[in-house]
Amino acid sequence: MDLSPRNPASPLRNLDLTLLLSTVGVSLVGVLMVYSATRQKQETAGLDPTFFLKRQAVFLVLGLVAMGLVLLVDYRRIRDFAPMLYGGAILALLLVVSPIGTSRRGTQAWFQIGAFQFQPSEVAKVVLILTLAAVCAAVRGSLDTPTLLAALGLAFLPMALIYVQPDLGTNMVFVAIVIAVLLVGGAQPRHISLLALLGISAIVLVVELGMLQDYQRDRLTAFLDPQTDSQRSSYNLRQSQIAIAAGGVAGRGLFQGTQTNLSFVPEQHTDFIFTAVGEELGFIGGVSLLSFFGVMMWRIWRAAVLARDQFGRLVCVGVLAMLVFQIFENVGMTMGITPITGIPLPFMSYGGSATIASFIGIGLVLNVHMRRFS
Amino acid sequence: MTQDSSRLRLGVLGMVVLSLFCALSARLWYLQVLASPTLAVEAQHNSVAVVYTEAPRGRILDRNGKVLADNRVVLALVANREEVGKRPEVLDRLSALIGVPVNVLNERMADERYSLFKPVPVAVDVPKDKLIYVREHQGDFPGIQGVQVTERVYPHGALAAHVLGTVGEINDEELGPRKAAGYKAGDTIGKSGIELTYETDLRGEPEISKLEVDSVGRVQRSLGGQPAVQGNDVRLTIDLDIQRAAEDSLAQGIVLARKSTDFLTGKPFLAPGGSVVVTDPRNGSVLAMASNPAFNPNEFTNGISVRRFAELNDPAGHYPLNNRAIQGLYAPGSTFKLATSIAGLRAGLITPRDTYNDQGAYTVVGQRSATFTNARGARNGLVDVAKALTVSSDVFYYWLGERFWDGRGSLGQAAIQDVGRSLGMGEYTDIDLPFESNGRVSDPAGRQKLHKDNPEAFPYPEWYTGDNLNIAVGQGDTAITPLQLTNAYASFINGGTVYAPHVGDAVLDRQGQEIRRVEAKVLRRVEIPASIREPLLAGFRGVVADPLGTGFGVFSGFPLAAFPVAGKTGTAEVGGKQDTSLFTAYAPADSPRYAVSAVLEESGLGASAAGPVVRRVFEAIAVKEGISTAPPADVNRVDGRD
Repeated sequence: MDLSPRNPASPLRNLDLTLLLSTVGVSLVGVLMVYSATRQKQETAGLDPTFFLKRQAVFLVLGLVAMGLVLLVDYRRIRDFAPMLYGGAILALLLVVSPIGTSRRGTQAWFQIGAFQFQPSEVAKVVLILTLAAVCAAVRGSLDTPTLLAALGLAFLPMALIYVQPDLGTNMVFVAIVIAVLLVGGAQPRHISLLALLGISAIVLVVELGMLQDYQRDRLTAFLDPQTDSQRSSYNLRQSQIAIAAGGVAGRGLFQGTQTNLSFVPEQHTDFIFTAVGEELGFIGGVSLLSFFGVMMWRIWRAAVLARDQFGRLVCVGVLAMLVFQIFENVGMTMGITPITGIPLPFMSYGGSATIASFIGIGLVLNVHMRRFS
Repeated sequence: MTQDSSRLRLGVLGMVVLSLFCALSARLWYLQVLASPTLAVEAQHNSVAVVYTEAPRGRILDRNGKVLADNRVVLALVANREEVGKRPEVLDRLSALIGVPVNVLNERMADERYSLFKPVPVAVDVPKDKLIYVREHQGDFPGIQGVQVTERVYPHGALAAHVLGTVGEINDEELGPRKAAGYKAGDTIGKSGIELTYETDLRGEPEISKLEVDSVGRVQRSLGGQPAVQGNDVRLTIDLDIQRAAEDSLAQGIVLARKSTDFLTGKPFLAPGGSVVVTDPRNGSVLAMASNPAFNPNEFTNGISVRRFAELNDPAGHYPLNNRAIQGLYAPGSTFKLATSIAGLRAGLITPRDTYNDQGAYTVVGQRSATFTNARGARNGLVDVAKALTVSSDVFYYWLGERFWDGRGSLGQAAIQDVGRSLGMGEYTDIDLPFESNGRVSDPAGRQKLHKDNPEAFPYPEWYTGDNLNIAVGQGDTAITPLQLTNAYASFINGGTVYAPHVGDAVLDRQGQEIRRVEAKVLRRVEIPASIREPLLAGFRGVVADPLGTGFGVFSGFPLAAFPVAGKTGTAEVGGKQDTSLFTAYAPADSPRYAVSAVLEESGLGASAAGPVVRRVFEAIAVKEGISTAPPADVNRVDGRD
């Protein structure tokens, strides 16, 4: 296929530039904030203050390249590879919990490749979106029970492997993806009620039967009772909120956040990157960032509405669910309205696998959108 | 599934997404616009650590401005916890260099009293060469720094130690009520003496430095603060020269007593300790206060070792930490006759001219007949009250004591004791020194109470006639402090004004300007008409001036014409121990400016041990007054009758 823009039939002429530019814009802000959150600490430790800046910039470029590669292939061709991709993802998740994988702070979720780590669960999210979309799009009309069960089964397998790592946050993203895709994919009202019931019982069982580690339960419930100072989780939460509040309307200015620079806020460059935005850029900066995210979500939703086929639509819905859930959960966590989970903020948090996976997700949406006429 | 249904579901999804973004924006609005001011304060607070460094204490001066307590700069090694924590081998090297065991250094490093943001002092008062070695080999001692710290020093060592007191590190009990005043764990605080009483004046304002600190405690930068302000100086009423004379004389008297034989036991006197007090009877200011044995307060400055502290509290050492002048309790013996005489004259039981024929013994007839004798069986013949004081006739006072008991129906059971108490005996003197004892003047009511409270120690609740004879001559279980004795006589000779004695004179700022004077405090005025006063003054003068006086021999050769001294001897019998030797005196006899008392435990007659000590103190005072030029001669033991 001729992708050259000079070709009047080229899908690239229908590329959603709004989505592309807002994504790149958010990513650039992310690189800047990662630098702001790490430079002081690096300098104090006598290390290169631009270490994280450089690496996140590399991740951004790698993400753009991955996105470009996704654009080259018609998304309907990609659907054909879904079973292979799914198999690969499951294999990677199996290997990562084997001795090959690398453990960090009690979670075994990474492969160490040279100076970089690869986190298969991030890519597994995108693979699950493709898989579920493919399965659900295969039936016409409402989903029948066998299809529904097949979809649930396909989602359950990677989630079980991720539970072993353990990585509670990623599994919550999986749940959001499954619910959104099944909802838009045509699940019947009785299926939805049944799933809701099942979900609630599962949560109760998990919490009550002690399937969670104490710290996991503490983190999940800390936001409900911020006064329990004994918990480290509650401390993090408090520090994070204080930092955001300290920003006020206009913020303290880039690189000026004392809470940020003094590393009061933990995991500042990864999970708590939004506190740096809140403290240094203030309400104006925070709302602007949320607005950019909002524009992205609107364009993804719009792509779903305009999609030529059910598969494309469901891929967009899956990506939308994945990103919205992560944004809401992550930003909400820093402000104390959602539980603390180790979910990164897409395009903002430092981390290669998540950044690249998010760009692949956007690539899929752009792909669906620009090929809506072909 | 219809196209419409799909659209509807996408619409629902869109609404969910929109509402989630609204929720985030609303929360952001709340945190950054509505709640920002209150939470922002917390942000500031969290990132600033305040480090306090103690200011040097104010000095303590004698009445002429001579320095009794000062500060000196010493070299100390401090360790940065973070850096040294990473390299434990540094402490091994340091241990070898300064000769302090590694576990001791580790304990100091872990000491929670020191601020986390301040280097920990691991060795104080380090020799200069060791400090230079550390500086020259900084590569081997990363995180170790040499600094200068100020610490308390008492340039005269043990001199006036009991008055000055000691400083030490604040303990939890002391810290609790002082937290509001800005005290911190690890601070230095006065533990005894003037250091304790005038703590608020002597303590300075600490250096406050504000540091920006990250969440794991690393100091990022300094945010300024305020410098330390040294505490105010405290000037005492103590005269260094008289204090030294008092201490030297007391020490000589004690050494001499130990070399002398007690004729009652045939053994040398034990003389475990004693005390000398010099006050100005006109206002209650204390010119000297000596207690023997003494201690060196410098030993306490950097924390006294447990072993040394145990040594100081060993009974074999006779408790050098006790200030016997205000804590030692002694039977006053014949010195108590001051009270008995005033009581007798005031009650009209005797007139100044009434005499009694002292034949050396006095017998009480009754159900518990007993004979009481003068010390050494002296017979004094016809004595009036003045003569009785001069020659120390016990028989005269036995006679008076029995008449008081016979007249108790109208005079009350404790007429003698009441006079003693009104002069401050057996009561807290309210001096500005801590841990004073009150003692007691024994009486029938008090004895009953003692028996009730502790029947084993005080088996007899009753008060017999014999007890009244005993109290009349200051015997029995009456016990007073040397300061009370001095103050009682001072109150009598100044015309009846009982002052609360004071050691503090004024608080001075750094320029030497008076901030606050310690005013003389009048506890009460005792009515002593001239008809009572004159005969007693004559009696006390006779003690020294009359060849028959018990203190005549003590002052032979003293320039009495230029500097007339009057006083009273006392020899107190103590069950199971050798006699307590007491002498209290004042001078010049016509308008007294000095009241001096000496009390020597287990040292014999008042005239033999305490008298010569008091004499030597007066010799020093005479030199100061320009009356005498000869420096005080060494204390000599004198024979006597009381």
